[in-house]
Amino acid sequence: MTIDAPVKQSRVGRLAKRLHLSKTVVNVILGLVAIFWLVPTISLLVISLRPESLFGVSGWWKVFTDPSQLTFGNYSTIFSQGFATGGVLDSLLTSLEITIPATLLVTMISSLAAYSLVFGSWRGRDWIFFGIVGLMVVPLQVALIPVVQLYREMGNLFGLNPYGTIPGVIIFHVAFGLPFGIFLMRNFLTGIPRDLLEAGRIEGAGEWKIFYRIVLPLALPAIASLAIFQFIWVWNDLLVALVFLGGNVHSPLTIFLYDQTRSLAANYWIVSTGAVVSIFVPLIVFFSFQRYFVRGVLAGAVK
Amino acid sequence: MTSVTAESPRVAAPRASRQRGWWRRNWVSIAFIAPAVIWLLAIVVYPTIATIRFSLYNESATKFVGLHNFGSVFSTDSILTAFKNNVVWVLIFPFFVTFIGLMVAVLTERIRWATAFKAIIVMPIVFSTTASALVWRTIFDLDPHVGVVNAIEQTVSDWFSTPGAYPLNSAIGQTAASLASFNATGGSGGTLVSKSIVQPGGTVMMGLTRVSSLTLQTLGAKTPVAPQKIAGGIAGLVWNDFSPSQTSNTTTIVSDEHGLPNLRLSLVNSTGSSVASTVTNASGDFSFSHVAPGSYHVEILASNFQTSFVGTFWLGSQSITPTSGLNQTAQSILSVPLIDLAMIISYIWIWAGFAMVLIGAGLAALNREVLEAAEIDGATEWQTLRRVTIPMLAPVLTVVFVTMVINVLKVFDIILNMAPGSSQGPATTLALSIYNDGFTGGIHSGVASAIAVILFLLVVPVMYWNLKKLKGGSP
Amino acid sequence: MSSVTLRDLTKQYGGNAALSLDSVNLEVAHGEFVCLVGPSGCGKTTALRMIAGLESVTSGEIEIGDRVVNDLSPRDRDIALVFQSYALYPHMTVFDNMSFGLKLRKVPKDDIIAAVTDAARILDLEQYLDRKPAQLSGGQRQRVALGRAIVRNPAAFLMDEPLSNLDAKLRVQTRAEIARLHHRLGATMIYVTHDQVEAMTMADRIAVINLGKLEQVGSPRELYDSPANQFVAGFIGSPSMNFVPMHVESVDGGIRVVSAGGDIDVTLDDAESAMIRSAGVSDVVLGIRPEHIDNQPRTGRGLQMRASVEVIEFLGNDEHVHLSSGSHELVAIVDARAPLTIGDSLTLSASSEAIHLFHPETGVALK
Repeated sequence: MTIDAPVKQSRVGRLAKRLHLSKTVVNVILGLVAIFWLVPTISLLVISLRPESLFGVSGWWKVFTDPSQLTFGNYSTIFSQGFATGGVLDSLLTSLEITIPATLLVTMISSLAAYSLVFGSWRGRDWIFFGIVGLMVVPLQVALIPVVQLYREMGNLFGLNPYGTIPGVIIFHVAFGLPFGIFLMRNFLTGIPRDLLEAGRIEGAGEWKIFYRIVLPLALPAIASLAIFQFIWVWNDLLVALVFLGGNVHSPLTIFLYDQTRSLAANYWIVSTGAVVSIFVPLIVFFSFQRYFVRGVLAGAVK
Repeated sequence: MTSVTAESPRVAAPRASRQRGWWRRNWVSIAFIAPAVIWLLAIVVYPTIATIRFSLYNESATKFVGLHNFGSVFSTDSILTAFKNNVVWVLIFPFFVTFIGLMVAVLTERIRWATAFKAIIVMPIVFSTTASALVWRTIFDLDPHVGVVNAIEQTVSDWFSTPGAYPLNSAIGQTAASLASFNATGGSGGTLVSKSIVQPGGTVMMGLTRVSSLTLQTLGAKTPVAPQKIAGGIAGLVWNDFSPSQTSNTTTIVSDEHGLPNLRLSLVNSTGSSVASTVTNASGDFSFSHVAPGSYHVEILASNFQTSFVGTFWLGSQSITPTSGLNQTAQSILSVPLIDLAMIISYIWIWAGFAMVLIGAGLAALNREVLEAAEIDGATEWQTLRRVTIPMLAPVLTVVFVTMVINVLKVFDIILNMAPGSSQGPATTLALSIYNDGFTGGIHSGVASAIAVILFLLVVPVMYWNLKKLKGGSP
Repeated sequence: MSSVTLRDLTKQYGGNAALSLDSVNLEVAHGEFVCLVGPSGCGKTTALRMIAGLESVTSGEIEIGDRVVNDLSPRDRDIALVFQSYALYPHMTVFDNMSFGLKLRKVPKDDIIAAVTDAARILDLEQYLDRKPAQLSGGQRQRVALGRAIVRNPAAFLMDEPLSNLDAKLRVQTRAEIARLHHRLGATMIYVTHDQVEAMTMADRIAVINLGKLEQVGSPRELYDSPANQFVAGFIGSPSMNFVPMHVESVDGGIRVVSAGGDIDVTLDDAESAMIRSAGVSDVVLGIRPEHIDNQPRTGRGLQMRASVEVIEFLGNDEHVHLSSGSHELVAIVDARAPLTIGDSLTLSASSEAIHLFHPETGVALK
């Protein structure tokens, strides 16, 4: 489990030891920083594990002096609600329904497009690539209103209006995930030697087979990075969901949490548990694929 | 494959079959990239152009209005406020997040638990900004029983000054002197002093007003009892000189009035020094025994009136900059709401890990020998950092800084979720304005599109420059 | 300028690792040019970095001048280090690169300008003072690295394989420049390289290091003529010395050393025989340099060899001839004017002064 970019650790360490800021001081400083950084997350966790009645009466930090306050009550309430509409689990499901297809689509379409850009033999590939990469600069706010209109037009023409539906959200997310995805995949694929494809062609494989059986398995690291990055991005999105799903019966976790803050009564038990649930999923993804995540961050400095 | 004729191998195949050949060879490749291209054209390219068009039309997109919408943008206070807030964000956030990322990246090289540390700092990126905003909203809550920050503030403030039993209301500028009613006047340092002089064997009565019934109730104030003389001592009474039944009577005790308990008093002699101290009882009575002959005043100590803790409303829109006298528009442009600071701090918590990872990678890629050369040349660790490491890191630092600028130009989630209703307006940003203007209460396209176009014009050159830098760096 | 002394210098990374340097003793005199040579990983760079203060000392002492500097940080040791990769500050001009150290020590501006222009003149860098390293060629960057060191006027110059990143022609040129620089400045220089040609051509004395141990210290001639052991013998000289395992025979009161198969035999005089006898070995390793093998027979003391020609490498003035003698293979350098063809059977010889005999196990020179 490593989050570092490859580093000549021993030499760095040796150099660092000679520098004059004593090691204990550094450890103390960074220790304090780490504690400061953990406090918000811990506070959320603790609040979700305390009864609602204590909220506003005593601070969550009192739990350290009185651990008996901790209870799973809030969570059992959520789970007893089950997948009832408007509950936390329902929102969890909706988030998954949006995020998983969006991630899959972006990775697939990006890989295909990148393959074409790298291994195709048609002219103008480079121009198209620059054009696509250039689209990374477009902020998605710019496209919101026209796409809503576009959806309406589709409804008029085909009877299928994606506005207000989950596919509507997915379509938008995929579109804005493609430029970065293609950028990432294409750069990775240029590192795959053409000889491998030639060998496949000689053995009689068609383009699709080559893509599917040779290139894709080799591209797994990049695909993993892209998938994680996309997943977390879409999972945490609020704006697109608000615009395209605003009044929908089922809302993803982000809208669910947002709604809670809008309502007059501060239902902190549900807000905190909902927030913990919404954090839980990307956290698992993050810890399982840390290596790839960092690579994605490094490549994704543009997003 | 087109076949080569034996007679004239150099004659090119006619155009039609050349094209067919090309298509046949490349159709799979084209098919691979088609979905992406179509998708992008439909959802990114076309809408961008459409938005530009919308920005030049009225709200219902029926009439061409030229730059009218843009004019509205720059003359609407709420949108000007949005601009101002974005400026505040851009001026403060990128610098500090890069700075913190740099410091942390440099220090992390020295510790053994670097991996765990980095994971802790990076983690908030995977939380939704919505969830993070909620967390920080509780942290900055005004109530010290909810918000950590105000809880700490209260602890610190209590350390220095315990609140008195009769705290003044600083919000309305109350002073101790304003409480004086009968035989009392404001003394130096926030005290109240008896007007009359008293000698051993005498009594003194002091009446105060404007004490809240809640305070009286909390302290268990009883009906005042007229003080009895004490030989060789001084007795007295401090009471709340307000009778609901006899409002005009400010000199004598009335039965529905209350004594003032727990008041700390000091007996001050003619030279101004305190010779004894005591505390009033439940009915407001007190006594000093064995008093040496002389003339005295009774002083009600200032500590009794120490204001209780008033928290800091971090989530509020009160301005850090002094703008109270200005007109509405000027205020929109010049005031800096406190909540901006609170939100920026939260946002730094989220994004510092990103800066740290990128800068850490840049740091690891540095040629160690150049740093060793600096050490041999005589540089201390701080000098090396300042004159060699940071300049060599300039490209990475710039990329991080600029990426954060772009990020902050589009900031949306955190304001929507962290600012309470009353602060939403003063804390709004461009992205939020687009949403509010365009999507609340139906869909309006004119002004919202104009804002979007402006946002676009702000973001594009910056992103383009950033991309070039990145491409220049990577092979 | 100062002397540099290493006393029992030892370096160990980690508790159980092998010793990177094992009790090295070396005295570099004031103004001397000493080369540390050895194969990759032998510890020579480690030793240099320890002198510079970039690596800690496990045990032993380092003295610069008459100060023990073990506990001093690099900036307090008054040394300058020329890195293999030059390690120039990429964001500074040549002038700033060279003046950085002086600026840190708060040297007055005029003195800085004087020192830098002086060094720039010596190194022919005057027209590049305003450029940044990225705009310079490899050779120019190397000179800037040297200039940075010169300007500091240190007690000792340390150089870590400064020529290895240059192409062959530039290397030869720069070698001469460094030698000239040494004479001009009279500076104490400690120079690390894996290339024995550099060591032989530039150094006053050479220290050969292998696996952390100092094998031999001496002038180039000493190392060439009298290598202390087989390692040094094989390391110095190009093409390298031939080694043949031989058997010791007692004959007529004297000692004869023969190869298996008898195609090579060496006759020793009394003094030499006594040395071999006292070593008490029944086998030795023969060492003979290619350039010392003559393509003509000889009688009396010395070496005689029968061999056949396997490969001929024509080099203009000389030929490098690969011979096979019995089951042994050797290389000889002969005058190209003598015609030879593959398969020729030759009788060759060498004088007894050119013959080296080494202990079969320890590799120590017996003769």
